[in-house]
Amino acid sequence: MSAAAALIRLHDLDLLLAELREVSLAARLRRAGFALGDARDLEAARARRFGELDPRWRHHYERAGRRYGAAVASVRGRVCQGCFMTLPRSASRGDAESVSLCESCGRILYRGRAESEVSESPVTPPPRSASPGPPRSRPS
Amino acid sequence: MHGTLVPSALDPSLFIPDLKCRRKDSALAELVACAGRGGVLRHPELALELLAAREALGSTSPGRGVAVPAIRSLAVQHGRVVVARSRRGIEWGAPDELPVHVIALVCSPAECPASQHVETVLRVAAAMKPQRARAKLMEAETFEAIAALLREALP
Repeated sequence: MSAAAALIRLHDLDLLLAELREVSLAARLRRAGFALGDARDLEAARARRFGELDPRWRHHYERAGRRYGAAVASVRGRVCQGCFMTLPRSASRGDAESVSLCESCGRILYRGRAESEVSESPVTPPPRSASPGPPRSRPS
Repeated sequence: MHGTLVPSALDPSLFIPDLKCRRKDSALAELVACAGRGGVLRHPELALELLAAREALGSTSPGRGVAVPAIRSLAVQHGRVVVARSRRGIEWGAPDELPVHVIALVCSPAECPASQHVETVLRVAAAMKPQRARAKLMEAETFEAIAALLREALP
């Protein structure tokens, strides 16, 4: 599984769990007739998916998640959708989807194919010790 | 605005007039495939996985023959609603145990706030609740007639 797919799987489960934890939202859904059962299986699946994440991304995921709630932000038109800063052209990751770090806010940036720009860098996590800085490209 | 579902979220290419499948998982797969073809999803397989996880929590049918499955995901490129009908009906685990005839899959991008996503789900479900609205949805010959009914529900 690609780094991007692993991040999407984990992040999407976190979004769903966040909805369930918002008591007022969950209550409104229940009142409307939607069934919301026990989230323990979902939490177990979340733990498994976190374990599947490349260890070099886990640290950044946890840190950004603690700080912002959602650890991953998508990129649209070279703009981080977490902090809305325009990303430098050098941060472009090519035509394929890619994952990098926002040097402004430290969220993990997910760039889908449609948002990709010119370059051919592969998806590569930054070293664990790195603080949010310019996305690095290293061969995987 | 990417995070908001607007009336343009209803698109004729995102409409399945009559699902042939009988099972919930097959119906979800058809809806997701339709969204994938329509450019709504980047990773249809991941979207389907998330929908299955949501259904495992409990049915997304509030009863009365309708279902409103929903995803908020990085796999979603644009906020859209995919609408499907099933004349035969699909077992969806609804509280009233009635088969589902109209399904509206709400797709929101990850940056859409949870409150807004849930609000859209609730509005779409509410729009399909009255018996007259459900009859209109089933009898509509064109997508425009369906869109006209659901458009009022979108914030």
